[in-house]
Amino acid sequence: MASTACFVIVSKNDVPIYEAEVGSAPKKEDLAYQHQFILHAALDVVQDLAWTTNAMFLRSVDRFNDLVVSVYVTAGHTRFMLLHDSRSDDGIKTFFQDVHDLYIKIFLNPLYLPGSRITSSHFDTKVRALARKYL
Amino acid sequence: MDPLRSYLGRLLLEEITPVVMVLTTPLAEAACRKSGLSFVDMLSPFSLFKKIDVPVRTASEVPYRLQMFKIRMVYASDVRKEDYEVADERIKPVVSEANEKALLDLLSDPPQLEDVLGKPEAELCPLWIKKFNRELMRTLSFSEHETFDHPVACLLVVSSMDKEPISKFVDLFNTNQLPSLLNEGIMDPQILKHYLVLHDQQDGPQDIAVNVLAEMRSTLGLNDCKLLCINSSTEADGSNPDNSWLPYKALGLENREGTCFLSTDDLNEIKDFMQDFASNHIIPYMEQKIRVLNQQVATTRKGFRNQIKNLWWRKRDDVPEAPNGPMQYTFTSIESQIRVLGDFAFMLRDYELALSNYRLLATDYKLDKAWKRFAGVQEMSGLCYFMLDQSRKDAEYCMENAFSTYLRIGSSGQRNATRCGLWWAEMLKTRGQYREASSVYFRVSNEEPSLHSAILLEQAASCYLLSSPPMLRKYGFHLILAGNSYYMSDQKQHAVRAYRNALFVYKQNPWSYINDHVHFNVGRWYGVLGILDVAIKHLLEVIACSHQSLITQNMFLSDFFHYVQSMGKKFDVYKLQLPVFNMSSLRVIHEDHRTYASDADVDVSEGTWQELEVELIPSSSVVRTNWLDTQPKPSLRKYKDSCVCVAGEAVKVNVELRNPLQIPVDVSGISLICQLSTNLDALSSDVSGLTLDDGEDKVNTEPSVSILETDEDNFIVSKLDIILGGGEIKIVQLDVTPKVEGILKLVGISWTLSNSVVGYQYFEFGAQKKNKKGKRGRRRSFNNSLVVIKGLPKLTGSIDCMPTKAFAGDLQLLKLNLRNHSECAVKGIKMKISNPRFVIPGDSPDIDLDFPHCLKKHMQSEIDLVPHKSTKENFKGLLFAFPQVLPSLDISFAISKSSSRLQEYIVRMDDFEADSCKEAESGSYRSDTALYPGSNGDVFDIARPPLADFHFQERYRQGKLAKVPCSLLDFVLISKAAGNSSKPSPDLQLLSHHTCHCSALSQSPIWWLMEGPRTITHDFSKSYCEVSIQLVIHNSAAYKSSVRVVTSDAMPEKSQTVHPHDSTSVQGGWHDVSLENDIKAISSAKGTRHEKQSSKSISPYVWCSLSSAQIELQPDSCSRVPLKVCIFAPGTYNFSNYELQWKVLPSKEAQVDENGSSSGGPGHPFYVTVLQSV
Repeated sequence: MASTACFVIVSKNDVPIYEAEVGSAPKKEDLAYQHQFILHAALDVVQDLAWTTNAMFLRSVDRFNDLVVSVYVTAGHTRFMLLHDSRSDDGIKTFFQDVHDLYIKIFLNPLYLPGSRITSSHFDTKVRALARKYL
Repeated sequence: MDPLRSYLGRLLLEEITPVVMVLTTPLAEAACRKSGLSFVDMLSPFSLFKKIDVPVRTASEVPYRLQMFKIRMVYASDVRKEDYEVADERIKPVVSEANEKALLDLLSDPPQLEDVLGKPEAELCPLWIKKFNRELMRTLSFSEHETFDHPVACLLVVSSMDKEPISKFVDLFNTNQLPSLLNEGIMDPQILKHYLVLHDQQDGPQDIAVNVLAEMRSTLGLNDCKLLCINSSTEADGSNPDNSWLPYKALGLENREGTCFLSTDDLNEIKDFMQDFASNHIIPYMEQKIRVLNQQVATTRKGFRNQIKNLWWRKRDDVPEAPNGPMQYTFTSIESQIRVLGDFAFMLRDYELALSNYRLLATDYKLDKAWKRFAGVQEMSGLCYFMLDQSRKDAEYCMENAFSTYLRIGSSGQRNATRCGLWWAEMLKTRGQYREASSVYFRVSNEEPSLHSAILLEQAASCYLLSSPPMLRKYGFHLILAGNSYYMSDQKQHAVRAYRNALFVYKQNPWSYINDHVHFNVGRWYGVLGILDVAIKHLLEVIACSHQSLITQNMFLSDFFHYVQSMGKKFDVYKLQLPVFNMSSLRVIHEDHRTYASDADVDVSEGTWQELEVELIPSSSVVRTNWLDTQPKPSLRKYKDSCVCVAGEAVKVNVELRNPLQIPVDVSGISLICQLSTNLDALSSDVSGLTLDDGEDKVNTEPSVSILETDEDNFIVSKLDIILGGGEIKIVQLDVTPKVEGILKLVGISWTLSNSVVGYQYFEFGAQKKNKKGKRGRRRSFNNSLVVIKGLPKLTGSIDCMPTKAFAGDLQLLKLNLRNHSECAVKGIKMKISNPRFVIPGDSPDIDLDFPHCLKKHMQSEIDLVPHKSTKENFKGLLFAFPQVLPSLDISFAISKSSSRLQEYIVRMDDFEADSCKEAESGSYRSDTALYPGSNGDVFDIARPPLADFHFQERYRQGKLAKVPCSLLDFVLISKAAGNSSKPSPDLQLLSHHTCHCSALSQSPIWWLMEGPRTITHDFSKSYCEVSIQLVIHNSAAYKSSVRVVTSDAMPEKSQTVHPHDSTSVQGGWHDVSLENDIKAISSAKGTRHEKQSSKSISPYVWCSLSSAQIELQPDSCSRVPLKVCIFAPGTYNFSNYELQWKVLPSKEAQVDENGSSSGGPGHPFYVTVLQSV
């Protein structure tokens, strides 16, 4: 498991709708904003990259020092962004695909307003379990 | 784009130029000092030649002309490598100088997206940054692995005042004083030497100098000697120099001391000298050298044979890895010569030659593993590629290679890497590859100390902005990084500037941590710089950070309050985030309360009220929104939808407020912001204006709080202080009390946070319709204007000690307290009770009565008539819950007529609850006389108001009021709960039971009895005794009756024994006991002689007046029939020897044969005792 991993789902309006620190390193307050900065800045790259490929998984799109940003773009242009320092590309891909499944389940919920924050604790637990499994 | 015209091209032309080492004598230097300049300073403006136009030929004899040319003049003592620390210190002023300019910018508004995108590149990167870049590159000057900084020529300067100038020249080029580069054999000491005699005109005529020159020419060579005369201007005035120096000022030549003896002629002479020096000496020398070196290289390295040899030789000599072994390559080594060749070619812009040599060299160095030199060569070949505008890929490859190689060799190559990176980035920028450029800048920044990296990051940021499409987020991020670095290197102004420029990227940003970080830091740094208002503005953005940890929240808040306090005054903040007012929870509470009782009572159905109100509300044809506004003014018509409030009464608003933090916050002075305008016309326009603008620009319509608070005369607002705990949600009630008529507008809420910040917020209407919920359940669209009408009386009523439980028939005294809250008098209060059977209003004097003792009969309590009250008593609607009624007494009773007295009854009563003692009263509805079977004290007066009223109500309820047959009786039982032994309750309970319209057991309509003296004393010795008695006959029937009284003298002995009522034998309890036996007993006790006689005598008395009388009795009336009896002996006599016969005469003939219409009855016993008088 990666020591640092920050997973964020960004809606198509660039609003983060789900955030989770899934790394094994103890969470630090001052890192939270740094991760957000990196992921936020990486959106610029994703914006360009998303239209150049048919694949949903864009692999690592951006890096900041030793932190890598891997991105998965859904058909609705919701972006799953993972900031990590590990290199297991396959694990990340599986992780993204499984999260996509979960996300679709959330999306199918008639009470969920697309683009609003995902507050389901079930989703949260599942995502964290997946992170433990694949990252 | 022509690479020569690009920024990098010009940079290279200016930076990579031949260096001229200058050696001066102290006297020559002193001559220059007179004008406030050093010798180098004096010459350097003229070392840049815009149009030198020198013909040059390449090594392969291809002619071309050099146009722009520059030579660098450097003192010999400066030709050395500087320490990094010293160099960095030298750079610092460049940054801090820009500080002061930055400070001015900070006061203005931060740039917006449009501004930034519209800016040209030059403005994005301020000039000082370019200057900084150059300075950063110059710190690498005179390194040993590159030769373009190695002096090409040497200028020896001797003053004409020096003694033995020729020997001075020789001394100057003393090997001890020369730079280490020359001494250590890294470069060729055999360089071009040029000799100059400097003559100060003030020291005397030119002759000495000319002589010296002639001498020099003869010894040192004809062409290499020159004479330069300066300070020819005799007067040191300010105006002359100004004019002549003007064109050169831009080149950095500044007269610092104000005096200048250089005349225009001097300047022209200097210029000519420099021109000559460059074109006739330096350039030809370099050209020559190139040719020589090229020849040398060609013979040793070019050609197939040489290559093989070189390869083989290199292989054999397996050099250990020593990146910059001190003496590995001396100037005599072929590698150094190739490098010199390349650099010279580069400086003379023969880039192809340079490139081919660099490439040749690269392979050599690579084989030698001389990495630093390899990187340097790669760097240069990259630049050559760029200048040739060929093969971008190769250029980039070379730069990349150089950069990474520099990095690989560790700390010694770091700064070189930086320079290489800067060149590389500039190269990419020239080609429009901004994204790549920014990533290069970013990579460079990692290698530099924080101040340098900050500037590099800032350049990276600007590159992101310039790339297309602009990468704003990257721009922002890198500016933030730059700001952080600036802050770490203690350049706060720059830090704020960087952050501020990034602000627009993060405006309205939902990424909460980013937002907090940016605003907090900007705010804090502004605070440190002392620009407090801006600091507070930014800190305001972060104080409501619910997602942060407790520590962070604390830090944010304490910083915020720190700056607020250092600001030293309260200030107003529109839409302060702390605490959060939930505007959708806004409710206006109307002051049309029917009750202040519990909510359960408030929610009584409307039907209950309407029923009560039916007779109270005056019927009117006009339907009004509120019955209060009896006279609607025409000007108020437009406010007809507005709610009405009353002057002097509070309008209440409920609003929910929430503390988003985990820290308790102190909120004081929460109050409404209101406007009350008495002038209706002025207001109407104002109001319409404001309501229209609601959704639009808040800033314009937003009146400052201070203005609104001046209205103290017209209304009073409540102020509320609370402390909200962490995460707490509270609903507060605010009120405003208008004092005058007009239109009251509820504008917003204001509050004070921790006694230092006044927050205010306006109510927003329009977007979502808020409903004002009146108690009537009428929903209206929320309108913030209330019509204030003049003061109205306002009554409240309450009942003390309303019991929740009572027994059936429980009598309780209730006090209704009415209170008028307003200043107006109240008239004509009406009251209505939903259930008048159970609640009877008393009279005002009753209030002070001592209950229940007041009910007791007073000594003189006469027979009062029940005060006749109308059933339409009017009550004010008050809501009381009637108490729960418990069953109390269960009684059964029978009433019979008393035979002894007229209009008295005997009541037999059984009750099944033995715990109370009873006092029974019976009476007719009209008058009452009481009979007390177990009388032992307390007597109740049922004719007094409370009881009588209840009685009346009961009669009414039980429903037979209209027809009042006299024979029907009302039975009132008043019982008193026996004080339980356990607790003697002070307020003893009284229970009253009313049973109305009972009938007595005997149904006879005629009721009679004898009246007369009971005891007579008579002297029988004189005459017989004549007793006159009266027979009172009462007709209780509804009709007229005719009654006939028949007396008979015969004794009906037998019938007397049977006389007792039939019913008494059946019933238990009391019964009619014949007095006969008692009398006898008494008589016997007295020992009366006539005992036997009286009982045995046949007729001891004689009716003497009449034997029969016929009278007519009106319904419900009495008549008396006088009777007389003659008695002849003393004794006790029973005058029952008569009979009544009556006939009811119905008014209508048809009902004659009614049962009982005609009947009769024997006389009641009436005992009279006659005594013999003595």
